[in-house]
Parts: sequence; C-alpha cells; structure tokens
Amino acid sequence: MALIELQNIHKHFIMGEEDIHALNDVNIKIYEGEFTSIVGTSGSGKSTLMNIIGLLDLPGEGNYLLDGINTTTMTDDELSEYRNQKIGFVFQSFNLLPKASALKNVEMPMQYASTYNKNLDDMKIRQMALETLNKVGLLERVHHLPNELSGGQRQRVAIARALVNSPKLILADEPTGALDSKTSEEIINLFRELNSQGVTVVIVTHDNNVANRCKRVLRMSDGKIIEDSKGAE
Amino acid sequence: MILRKIFVNSAEAIVENKLRSALTMLGMIIGVMAVILLVSVGTGAKRYITSEFESLGTNVILIQPGKTDKKNSMGPPVSSSKGKLTLSDVDALQKNAQSLSAVSGVMFGAGVVKNESATNNINILGSNDQFNRIFNMTLIEGSYFSKEDEDSGRRVAVLGYAIKENLFGSATALGKLVKVNESEHRIIGIIKPTGDKLGFNVDDMVFIPTKSSLRLFNTDKLFGIRASAKSKSGIDDAVKEITAILKDRHNGEEDFTIITQVTMMESMNTILNMLTYALAAIAFISMLVGGIGIMNIMLVSVTERTREIGIRRAVGARRSDILKQFLIEAVVISVSGGLIGIALSMLITYTLFAFLPGFDMRPPFWILPPSFFLSLTTGVVFGVWPARKAALIQTIDALRYE
Repeated sequence: MALIELQNIHKHFIMGEEDIHALNDVNIKIYEGEFTSIVGTSGSGKSTLMNIIGLLDLPGEGNYLLDGINTTTMTDDELSEYRNQKIGFVFQSFNLLPKASALKNVEMPMQYASTYNKNLDDMKIRQMALETLNKVGLLERVHHLPNELSGGQRQRVAIARALVNSPKLILADEPTGALDSKTSEEIINLFRELNSQGVTVVIVTHDNNVANRCKRVLRMSDGKIIEDSKGAE
Repeated sequence: MILRKIFVNSAEAIVENKLRSALTMLGMIIGVMAVILLVSVGTGAKRYITSEFESLGTNVILIQPGKTDKKNSMGPPVSSSKGKLTLSDVDALQKNAQSLSAVSGVMFGAGVVKNESATNNINILGSNDQFNRIFNMTLIEGSYFSKEDEDSGRRVAVLGYAIKENLFGSATALGKLVKVNESEHRIIGIIKPTGDKLGFNVDDMVFIPTKSSLRLFNTDKLFGIRASAKSKSGIDDAVKEITAILKDRHNGEEDFTIITQVTMMESMNTILNMLTYALAAIAFISMLVGGIGIMNIMLVSVTERTREIGIRRAVGARRSDILKQFLIEAVVISVSGGLIGIALSMLITYTLFAFLPGFDMRPPFWILPPSFFLSLTTGVVFGVWPARKAALIQTIDALRYE
C-alpha cells in the first residue's frame, strides 16, 4: 500500500479574470521509505501539489489517500490531526516562532499531539524535544531564539520540529532555498540520513541539484507530472 | 491541546509583549476601578446621609401645614397658604397622642442677636421644653427651657455654640442678656457644638420658647410641629394617631403633611439610588472602552501573528485550539486587569479611610464578585471576535503572510 496515493487530482484557481489550472489530472503513488523530489519551475503547480499532499489545501477533484485513508472527505479537525500525526513540514523560510526558543519550537507540535496522546506530559515532551534536537546536532543551542541561530541551524530546528511527532512523511518545501550551498549540502545529507532510518521524505524544489540528490524525481510542468525518474546519484 | 498548556502559551505571549499587554490591561484596570470607586462613592454617600438622618433622632416625625398629593416628596412648600398649625394643636397632641413621647411646635425665622460687643445675623428657632428630646440635643451649660418658660412665654434663650463664642468669647454667657430682634432675652443654656447636620447648623442658631417666638414674629401660625414616637416600630401608629387628632381639630380636613424618618429616607434613597445607577452607568461605559481596547489590541495581535497561526495550524492546531489561544489571551489580560483594578481600588479607599476616617469610601464587598465577573465577561465578549477571526484564517495564506 502506498503512503501517498493521488488519484486524478485537479485544482483550479481564479486569479482575477483568469482561470488557472494549477493541477491537471495528477496521479502519483509514493511508498513508505521513499526519498522523492518534486521538481519544476515556478508556476508548474508544485507548490499547489505540496499543499495538497500536506493537507493544507484540498484538491478540486480527485482523491488523495494518505496512509490508505481518503483525506478528501475529512473534516477540518481530522485534517489537523493528520497533519499533526502523519506529516512533518519543513519550509524554505523556516517558519519558526520568532519569540520562542529552539526547544519551545520543537515542543509545539507535541503540545497539539497531547490532545490525541494523553501520555504526553510536560516531562515527556521536554525529553523528546531534547532527543530530537540532539538528533539534528543542536543540543548546545536549545535555549537560543531563532534569530540567534544561523540559517542552517534554524533549518535544523525546523527539521527537529517536523520529526518530533515521529511522522510517516517529511514534506519539505524548498528546504535549501534560503541557505548557501555548503549548508544546503548539510541539510540534504540530514534528510538522506533520516530517510536511511526509514522516514519517507518528499522535497519540493526548483533546484535540479537538490532534486538529483533524491532517489526519485517527479518533474512537473503546467500542472502535470511529465517525468518520473530515478535520481542522478 | 490541553487547556492548561493554552493558558501557559497565552501567558507567555502576554509576557512577550509586555508594554502592549500592560497598556491593554490599563484600560481594564481603569474600568474596574471606575466601577468599584463610583459604586463606593454612591454607597458611601448613602451611608453618610443615612447616619446623618439617624443622628437627628430615629423616631422623629415632622408635621407641616398644607398638603400636597405628591408621594415621596420632602413635604409641602415651606410657606403654605392652606392649613394652619397652632399651639393648641401642639397641646392637643401632647394631651391625647399616646404613641408620642415628645411634641413641640416650631417657629423658624431669620433674626439678629446682639450684645454690647457684637451683632450676629442668625436663625431663630422657637420651640418648647420637649424639643431637645426630639432631636437629641445636648447642652454643655445651663439647661433647655422649662415648661414654665414655654407656658408663660418668657424671654429666655439657648444659644448655639458658635453664637456664644461670637458674642462672649471665652467669657461666661449664662445668665447674661442678649437682644434678639431688639427684645432682651436671658441666656439659660449653651448647646454642645455639633456642626452641620443636613444643612442645619445648630451652632449658628438661637433657641427661644415657641410662645416668645410667635410674639417676636407677630403671628399665631406655627412653622410646623416636631414630635417623636415612643419607639421606632411605633412610628406608623403615631402617624395614624396624629392624623386622627389633627383632622378632628381641623374640621375633618387633612390640611397638613406628616413626614417621618422613613419617608424622608425613602425619598433620599430614591435620589441616592439614582446617583448610584448614574455612576454605575458611567463605570459601565469605561468598562466598554476597556473592552474595545482589548478587542483592538487582539485584532492587531491576530494580524501581526498571522504567520504564527499558519505555523501552528500546519503542525496540527485545530481551529478550536487557535480560537481558545486568542480568547484565553484576551481573558487573561482582562481578568488580570480586573484583579489589579480591584486590588488598587481597595488600596486607595482603605488608605484614604486610614488617613481620613470621616471619608469612608470603602467599597461594599458585594461589588467585588460582580466586578471580577464583569472583567471576565468583557474579556470573553471582546475577545471572541478577534479569536474567531484568527481561527478562520486559511493556513496556506497564513504561512505565506509577510
């Protein structure tokens, strides 16, 4: 069974007078443990696709099965629960809470998870956040605010936040877009390492260098998947 | 998310924006203080006036000539063309009214009192030997009129303390002669200084027997009659008895008005309650302003934290979690403001009371729970809309928000 199964997904936007067909009959299956990139130029529909895979947006038509369950009929609360339990997000602009320390940022998803998992008390949350920050190599900087951290460190905090609820899927939107090439390399390596530990990773990018470091590359153009290939490495 | 954690998050958000939170709270602090202080002023005034009334003598009954049909008024106009009370009415009440312990006719007028050293413009009050008992008047020297003084209309006078001081200074006044409106009177008593009581200052008055005063003002029509009932509970019976006796004497016509402590207090209370309500309304408006301040800041806060809302939604916050977060933040601000306001108003009124015991504006305790709940309600009412707005923000838009 595929972790992600997109069936005949369509999405339209009305921008002023224009009707934009952002996704046009997209069919994808991604299995657990895969390391996939979705690559395309801006306007190719990859961001829309990411929003739909991340349950941040709903498709206009078609079905999206996440972990075998059809998400298109879910309520807003159910979608929130799925985002919390099954998906970890990493964004280009990090999207950390600026006034909260690295530790607090990582603890946040677990606070929402405590609605579903009553065993998550404050002690446990703290302990898991520290463990996860250790995993991304930031144990020394847990009490720093995001603006006291370098770009690469911020992205590591974001990755720790994405990982902390042990999701099945890490969804990264241009995770290296705001980083220099050396730091980008470190972040990609971190993703590869996580993937080798069994986490399914989907990276959305316009950067072919990043895409080629993934095991599978889905190339998009004009709202369609035009190529499904293995990565260069 | 568990409510307790939302509380912690809200408290953190408030601390992160110290100045803004403090300013928002200030609106609430002032609102709650206004509620408590204004209600305290209202009840304090009421308490003060009630005690003033009671210090006049609790069983006092006022009988005025003339009649108005208006309920709860303070009695008819002072000079009434209709109705006439005379000394024989006083005699009749003294003889026949079982429920009364004392009755005195009163005459009231402006006059001049003088001796060799000074002249004073004063109020002259004509009364009989029972008057001092009705109004709990205490003398520091000499005695009040005797029955003989009244019956034979002797030219004797009892002076208020201020007049005695003006005319005689520290010298003895008892037994000396003063001219009251050019007629010589002998001083037989000095009243203990009492100060202002409901606009009447006993210290500035000269008391002479009723009969003497009627002669002085050349009339047989009394200003009114003052009486006291034997007991406070007997006041209603006393009123009935007086009405019966006087009606009988006035050819069956009720051409007089009886005012008791109860009716006076009632009409005073009507005015004072109105005052309290007016103050409460002003206080309510200041709460409203405080509430709008909270709403204003919360709306700014929601806009400013749109991205945060997006992030929280992305990692799994439900709409209800976001709603609760912002609602609780508003409530925490308003309730903290409310509690600070309560504490401050207690501090202010109790400090004032400690230094000025005559100025008792201590808030009644019944106002504290309502003012707390008022601040809570204000927080909820004015926090709901911004919180709803926050909860309804679209996640993808919020994540892109700059």
